[in-house]
Amino acid sequence: MVDISLIIGGPQGGGIESAGQIAVKSMVLLGYEVLGSREYHSNIMGAHSYYHLRVQEHRPRSLKLPVDGVLALDAESVFTHFRDVRPGGILVYDPGTRSTRVDAIQPMAAPLKKRLKSLFESKGMQPIVESAVKLAEEAGARIVGLPLKEMLKTLSERTGAPVARVSRALNTLGLASMLYMLGVPVEYVEKAIALQFAGKEKVVAMNIEAVRIAVDYVREAFGEPVERLPPGPRRGQTMIVATGNDVVAMGKIVGGLGVITYYPITPSSDEALYIEKHSYISIDGPLAEKLGYDKIAVAIVQMEDELASINAVLGAAAAGARASTTTSGPGFSLMNEAISLAVEAEIPVVVTLWMRAGPSTGMPTRTGQQDLLHSIFSGHGDAPKIVVASGDHVEAFYDAIKAFNWAEEFQTPVIHLLDKYLASSMVSLAREDLDPSKVSITRGKLLENPPGDYRRYEVEEDGISPRARLGSATMVITGLEHDEYGYATEDPVMREIMMFKRERKFKVIEERIPDEEKAVLHGDADASIALVSFGSTKQPVLEALEMLRAEGVRARFAQIRLLYPFPGRLVEEMVEGAEKVIIVEQNILGQLAMLLRAHTSIKPDSSIVKINGRPLYSFEVASAVKRILETGEERVVVSHGS
Amino acid sequence: MARSWLEYKTQAWVQWCPGCGDFGILNSIYRAVSELGIDPENLAVVGGIGCSGRTTYYVKGSNFHALHGRAIPVATGVKLANPSLNVIVAGGDGDLMGIGGGHFVALGRRNLNITVLLFDNAVYGLTKGQAAPTLPAWIKTKALSMPNIHDNINPVLLAFAAGYTFIARGYAYHTQQLKELIKTAVRHRGAALVDILQPCPTYNNVMTNKWYEERIYYVDQEDGYDPVIRTPEEFQKKAPTIAAKLMEFGDRIPLGILYWNQTRESFEERLEKIMPGYMSAPPATRRIELDGKPFLHPFDVFKDRLIVP
Ligand SMILES: Cc1ncc(C[n+]2csc(CCOP(=O)(O)OP(=O)(O)O)c2C)c(N)n1
Repeated sequence: MVDISLIIGGPQGGGIESAGQIAVKSMVLLGYEVLGSREYHSNIMGAHSYYHLRVQEHRPRSLKLPVDGVLALDAESVFTHFRDVRPGGILVYDPGTRSTRVDAIQPMAAPLKKRLKSLFESKGMQPIVESAVKLAEEAGARIVGLPLKEMLKTLSERTGAPVARVSRALNTLGLASMLYMLGVPVEYVEKAIALQFAGKEKVVAMNIEAVRIAVDYVREAFGEPVERLPPGPRRGQTMIVATGNDVVAMGKIVGGLGVITYYPITPSSDEALYIEKHSYISIDGPLAEKLGYDKIAVAIVQMEDELASINAVLGAAAAGARASTTTSGPGFSLMNEAISLAVEAEIPVVVTLWMRAGPSTGMPTRTGQQDLLHSIFSGHGDAPKIVVASGDHVEAFYDAIKAFNWAEEFQTPVIHLLDKYLASSMVSLAREDLDPSKVSITRGKLLENPPGDYRRYEVEEDGISPRARLGSATMVITGLEHDEYGYATEDPVMREIMMFKRERKFKVIEERIPDEEKAVLHGDADASIALVSFGSTKQPVLEALEMLRAEGVRARFAQIRLLYPFPGRLVEEMVEGAEKVIIVEQNILGQLAMLLRAHTSIKPDSSIVKINGRPLYSFEVASAVKRILETGEERVVVSHGS
Repeated sequence: MARSWLEYKTQAWVQWCPGCGDFGILNSIYRAVSELGIDPENLAVVGGIGCSGRTTYYVKGSNFHALHGRAIPVATGVKLANPSLNVIVAGGDGDLMGIGGGHFVALGRRNLNITVLLFDNAVYGLTKGQAAPTLPAWIKTKALSMPNIHDNINPVLLAFAAGYTFIARGYAYHTQQLKELIKTAVRHRGAALVDILQPCPTYNNVMTNKWYEERIYYVDQEDGYDPVIRTPEEFQKKAPTIAAKLMEFGDRIPLGILYWNQTRESFEERLEKIMPGYMSAPPATRRIELDGKPFLHPFDVFKDRLIVP
């Protein structure tokens, strides 16, 4: 079974992202499935960033540490990742940096410098790259030195381009060497490069030359790879490789998006940018005939702030468009007042909330699950709403479509909760993974021809009034308490009628959303250990379940999909009979545990939390579970990742 | 085709103070939209929060009463979704110049085809008379315990700087002229502002009807002021005169059409330019499913993410 993990480290702006993508594409072309994710600082250039990648025959569930290979394109990467290589794995670095001192690396965080220096000191070593390499070697890594400067010189000679220009292929020199050592046939790397830089012939040619130089050098210095990687099960198949940002964008567009607004913020901006790229779509003849138009034009507007973003989509939704805005914690705070308006005025909007590590601007480019309560309790004054969390890319795609359905069916805001890890992690997906025919488009009680005496807030049994678009009838949509027509009123009786109407609607939501979309039970249903989690921890937890089973520990896993209205009864059933309930979440307050306490009779025994802003890894979950079983600890904090 | 203004009157009780300038504005709106013959369903009045924002309940339309300061973004969304609607924003000076100032500027930058009616009474009416951004410095109205120490914003000049292509000023009690200004503003294709001076008899005891009547005059009754820009070159030539006129606010306060640029394309026109077909199948009304299912497949649309062997 193929299971390869890699880390490609280097300065931000140094081509780490494209090296990662080339690696991903090579592997997908070869027929494997991938999971890749980028970790980066909140800056534009210079500070350390890395691409973390895993390749398997099926879609990897989690990133893995230690890895089979670390490609360190600069000294900082050696220092940051020399302990991430497994025994027998490879550390590729540039011996030219051998004597670089920890202190000489300006962008490196001071606390890391301090930790490294005391490590080297404790071993009686100098705080230089060579010591790190030596420690890696002692731990069983195979060291591969690449004289990157000389290789660049060769590349410059062969292409006739100045060294300054060819130095942009430094990442390719390193990557090709690494992939060669791992047994990836070189033609796949070349194909991936052609894909990555499609349309830029010169860049392709330069990078392919870089591949050759790298392969020649490595072959000469280290010989043929031990094993040539055989083709994987997907070879010859067309795949999509997409991030979480991408799949949500895809879901929205496929799901009928009409207006989307945003104000730039990591990690939501990439979703908006991707929508912008596809905001104008031509439709072919027969389909166009059926639809009555042949161009889809999505209005995507970068607004002046988040207040404008959400209020504009409220207007657009009231006018009848499927409308959405996308943001992250700080931006979502600014939207709170309008979330309340959407509840009171019963406007169907979808807010995509990409959680990152707070509080405040916290760590803007790192992941976390700290906005769970913020999403649920957003808005003032008895403002219930729907909150749905996706566990992975496939769920995120369908949820993006379903969120619109729910918003329109129940005429209320839907918050689609995701996080930075999903946003920037990239997976390979087959055609059947993203199959829109699996979902419907339902618009609820949307009237095409409202009656003359139209009442926007007509009181109906199920709490849901027939909805008409602005422009199709006279009405007032309002955030003030109102009568059936929308006229503002403070009449005590009417107030109660309207409050009960909205409350009833939420009962109806609980009834109508199918159980399988509220929570999913994975693993051994009768196991005495029950894990409970939500969001992007799904796949790492699932892999942890497999790892535990291999060691004879059986566990079940209740993945909560709908966070509001909270499916209390269902979750209770899922953990029923378990002797130990363990919550897995990436926040320090135990926000999911709080919700469990509020909505169920479950008393969680322990929790596994990760708050360092890095993605949760399956091995961490597995070992934390074992530790909890041994010690009964209430909270295990897991902390891997650089 | 003109209609009776009564068609636009709703059954809601108009809850403004006796003598409030808002009545004059409301009447002018009734007359303007009825003379323009706009179908009530095709009229979207988007209100902010304040006495002024209540207009959404009094004018029959397909209306939206938004949050304090957020009428412009809501109107923007309505217009983006359905460009065929006539969208009018009704907000106070606190609403549009204070809490919603950023949106006011952004609308000019976009030149989206929306008419902004600024109910300018220089105070926060609904919250009982605090100083609004258009109240001049050192004026002490009766609700204030100390004179206002903020300088005032000039809405018409701000609109000019922001890119509004139609800027006018009216007076709430001159309903005949105000009606005409509103009509022209609504007909104009692009962001339009009508700054409406509006005495607040309850809280603004300084800028009263008398105070205004002593100062206001109509620019079209004076010689030689031409606010209209018909060619892009004309803008460079006339801008200084126009800016000077827009700055005039003191002993003399100009009313009427102060600036009217007929050369700049509106936001919808730009959208249509980059996305032909946008206007004919706008987001609000185009069909988004076939037999209840999505009709696009990611593998056919998002080709840039495909890895084709
Ligand atoms: C976010 C928010 N802050 C404050 C208020 C309270 N508030 C209601 S009306 C109003 C002032 C309205 O003044 P203005 O916009 O000048 O309109 P006017 O009442 O004078 O017509 C304020 C501050 C609110 N509703 N929302």
